[in-house]
Amino acid sequence: MAGVFFRVGNTTFGGGYVTMGMLGRELVDTRRWLTRENFDLAFALCRVTPGTNLLAFCVAVGALICGLAGAIAAVMALTIPSAAVAVLFMQGFESFQGNRIAMAAIGGTVAAVAGMMWSTIWTILRPHVGGLTRNIQVILIAGGAFLASWKYHITPLPIIIAGTLIGFLWKDSKKS
Amino acid sequence: MNLFVLYLLLLKASVTSFSGLGSLPMVRNDFVVERHLMTDHQLNTAVVAGRTGPGPYGLYLVCVAYLVAGVPGAIAGFLALVTPAFLVIPLMRWIGARAEIPRIRSAIRGLLLASAGLLLSSSVPLTQDAVTGVFAAVLVVTSFLVLTFTRMDSAWLMLGAAVAGLATYFVV
Repeated sequence: MAGVFFRVGNTTFGGGYVTMGMLGRELVDTRRWLTRENFDLAFALCRVTPGTNLLAFCVAVGALICGLAGAIAAVMALTIPSAAVAVLFMQGFESFQGNRIAMAAIGGTVAAVAGMMWSTIWTILRPHVGGLTRNIQVILIAGGAFLASWKYHITPLPIIIAGTLIGFLWKDSKKS
Repeated sequence: MNLFVLYLLLLKASVTSFSGLGSLPMVRNDFVVERHLMTDHQLNTAVVAGRTGPGPYGLYLVCVAYLVAGVPGAIAGFLALVTPAFLVIPLMRWIGARAEIPRIRSAIRGLLLASAGLLLSSSVPLTQDAVTGVFAAVLVVTSFLVLTFTRMDSAWLMLGAAVAGLATYFVV
């Protein structure tokens, strides 16, 4: 399991959401170590855990698969190599930024990351679509969160709280 | 600087934020404004380094700690970064035990949908930034299709995209 977190976490650029999406793809769809419901639970709870969401996600998923040892292994395997890379990158930042060949390679990966983000959105929303009421919920909550953040620049925490409250009050009788 | 104090300062910033860069205002206040341990330029470099490589954006905290106290500082920064993540375990036990209750399930669903909306708002500027021409647009669409409809490993996709970026540099 640590090998999966090491490989996916240290080859996926673009921040926490993309990495969580790629981990979900590997752990839920490919290896079936985790159910979609448990993935959703970990994904949801890491948003309300203080600190970096991705690390809370690793702890949650690692704990679900292999207990506390799994949580520690997951977070260490994902973070230690990329932390070392970040420190090394910072040391050589000025010369690296001026290297056009390196920047061309990074440009390619940035485009791939954009595609990864849309794939992650699709993966999250797909199980929640279907039926008029559920579709309205998706449009209202996901669309409302998008507008609140994109147009009105509201910070994530109140949006997350509002989404949770709407979900709590608007009970969904069907299981995802 | 005392490593334990460094750890506590970074832990304070980490535990009071809810996203990778959410701790930035507090870090700037403590390290640049109050204690003059680094300049704004150094802080910016740390943030860029944390964002450019793989892993979470919050890794910039490790870079900040490295700038302040070298490798031992980086270890203290790393520990400050990962400590709050373990709070999810009691949270998960409590919520997980109640996940079958319809209202709790609906609340989790609401949280998930709101997160998807937030991700959408992050994806739009990133896509606008990434699409610098027709070739980049093709890469974005290809990446989406490959990851959504095949089981190809994302590491191969990243490698392929880097090679494609290099190819455009040498060909165009």
